[in-house]
Amino acid sequence: MGSKAIISVLGPDRPGILAAVSKLLLELDCNIENARQTILQGEFAGIFIASIPQGLKPAEINNRMQAALSPMDLTVHVKNLSLTPFAAGCACEPFVITTQGPDRKGLVAGITRILACYGVNVTNLQAVFRGGNDPEGNVMIYEVDIPADIDSQALYADLRSGAQALELSISIQHRNIFEALNRI
Amino acid sequence: MLTDREILSTIAMLKNEHLDVRTVTLGINLMDCVSDDLGRFLNNIRNRILGRAGDLVRVCDAVGEKYGIPVVNKRIAISPVAVAGARFSPEELVAVARALDAAASEVNVDFIGGFSALVEKGAARGDSALMEAIPQALAETQRVCASVNVASSKAGINMDAILKMGAVIKKAAALSADRDGLACAKLCVFANIPQDIPFMAGAYLGIGEADAVINVGVSGPGAVKKAIDRAMASEADLNLGRISEIIKKTAYKVTRVGELIGREVAKNLNIRFGIVDLSLAPTPNVGDSVGEIFQSLGLRSIGVPGTTAALALLNDAVKKGGAFASSHVGGLSGAFIPVSEDLNISEAVRNGYLTLEKLEAITSVCSVGLDMVALPGDTSEETLAAIIADEMAIGVINRKTTAARLIPVPGKKAGDNASFGGLLGQATIMAVTDARDNAFVRMGGMIPAPIQSLTN
Repeated sequence: MGSKAIISVLGPDRPGILAAVSKLLLELDCNIENARQTILQGEFAGIFIASIPQGLKPAEINNRMQAALSPMDLTVHVKNLSLTPFAAGCACEPFVITTQGPDRKGLVAGITRILACYGVNVTNLQAVFRGGNDPEGNVMIYEVDIPADIDSQALYADLRSGAQALELSISIQHRNIFEALNRI
Repeated sequence: MLTDREILSTIAMLKNEHLDVRTVTLGINLMDCVSDDLGRFLNNIRNRILGRAGDLVRVCDAVGEKYGIPVVNKRIAISPVAVAGARFSPEELVAVARALDAAASEVNVDFIGGFSALVEKGAARGDSALMEAIPQALAETQRVCASVNVASSKAGINMDAILKMGAVIKKAAALSADRDGLACAKLCVFANIPQDIPFMAGAYLGIGEADAVINVGVSGPGAVKKAIDRAMASEADLNLGRISEIIKKTAYKVTRVGELIGREVAKNLNIRFGIVDLSLAPTPNVGDSVGEIFQSLGLRSIGVPGTTAALALLNDAVKKGGAFASSHVGGLSGAFIPVSEDLNISEAVRNGYLTLEKLEAITSVCSVGLDMVALPGDTSEETLAAIIADEMAIGVINRKTTAARLIPVPGKKAGDNASFGGLLGQATIMAVTDARDNAFVRMGGMIPAPIQSLTN
């Protein structure tokens, strides 16, 4: 067990996808260390990190899995896992940025452009735009890490003016408030 | 990873349900500022307040912004002036009040409380001087709040002090007649006053407290009402047991907000965190009312039959939820029913649903007492004292805090409107049963402390 691979699986949701993926990895002597899946509008997306036996190449895993999962109309991508994630060593504070407002093109682009300018990393995004002009039906929730050494007031000001230009209401709050209120 | 429900429900509480931190109150001990020289004493307390509270507003605003929770008021509570300034005459204590007002203005806090005396078993020289100074002190200052504890379950009821407070209130009203007796809105008479109330007008720093402490008062009647309304709309088999559970959960959330903010402010100021006062404190805004909760519970208005039972349920559920949320709960902690400060309660008086007698009855199960009650301007000192004595008796016998914040509005009569401005709101003046020749309150002395057994 030397290196690790990251495997992504994408395609129409149906029962048996996880069973098929995990069976294939087991047959390849891979050990799943992390896994997460989500379903958006009926589309399955899964991401798996597995330690792999010495000598087994990601391309070989990719070929075996793609061949086995193609009949389920699933697309597979496998690559070596980088061992230096961005977050390592970042002195950051976790915040949650939430927007609501009428739907239009460019909402995610408008907000994430500002976040990227300040080096703010998005650690989780949930977004739904199904409300048309009903602000309550169009929500973006960004969980972000804001670096401690940036001008946070300038970031907040840019986010607020950016949201205003997009007709969005915006909340920028430290993550702890949500944990304090909702979790024991 | 947070769930979208956790995030969106939290934001809804903040944006639509008026959840906020009503006050962060910095307690400051002034006992080592004592001097027999007035000038030196004034200088000492000014330096102490500026030194301790100079950063309070800035830090509260920064922490409020970080969490997206407004800290609506920033306040200071000081050691009881009747003790720290026991050496001084009433005139000199008025000068102390002016100095406190100036210092509060300088550090930009909303109110400074602690122009206070503890006289439940007797008034010392400084206590008497302070009570004498209260009317002028409150009429001449903007931000100073006063309180006098006249009774306790351990000591009994000091009827001499109560009679004195009837006169003090009457005089304070007269000195602020052009503002509907506003000075009285900054004065509370207490039984069993807690040492750590962050809310005004009763906030002071107890003798048993440390040099400095941060106490937090949260609010959230709007959040409780909305939670009940949601359950009413969605749960077919809703009953009062389930309602209590819903209120408890909401109170839990409200209290957690307060403790989070309070601890962070305390940490940033390098001051000890004290308590969260988990009270439902209304404002004169629609949707931020304790009175509206009674209507959500199916009563036509606060004041109709059923009100006492509903308030008992509400007050108890709030305490239970808060006590689970934080190990450091104190102050008054429960549901406030301040008449002028709650638009709905004020309307209940105007519409005839809530009378003074029913209000007194429900104070037996609320967390404070007769709060912000506007009375006819010709209400006598003796009648004011008698109303206070009744309220104190409820607290003493039931071993709870009760208070009276009464405003005999000069020149106005029952049914007229009195306006106090801002968060103090406005109220219809309540009728008072004619109580001329009230010899009872003039008899004076102490009503002894109640028996601790035979509790039926």
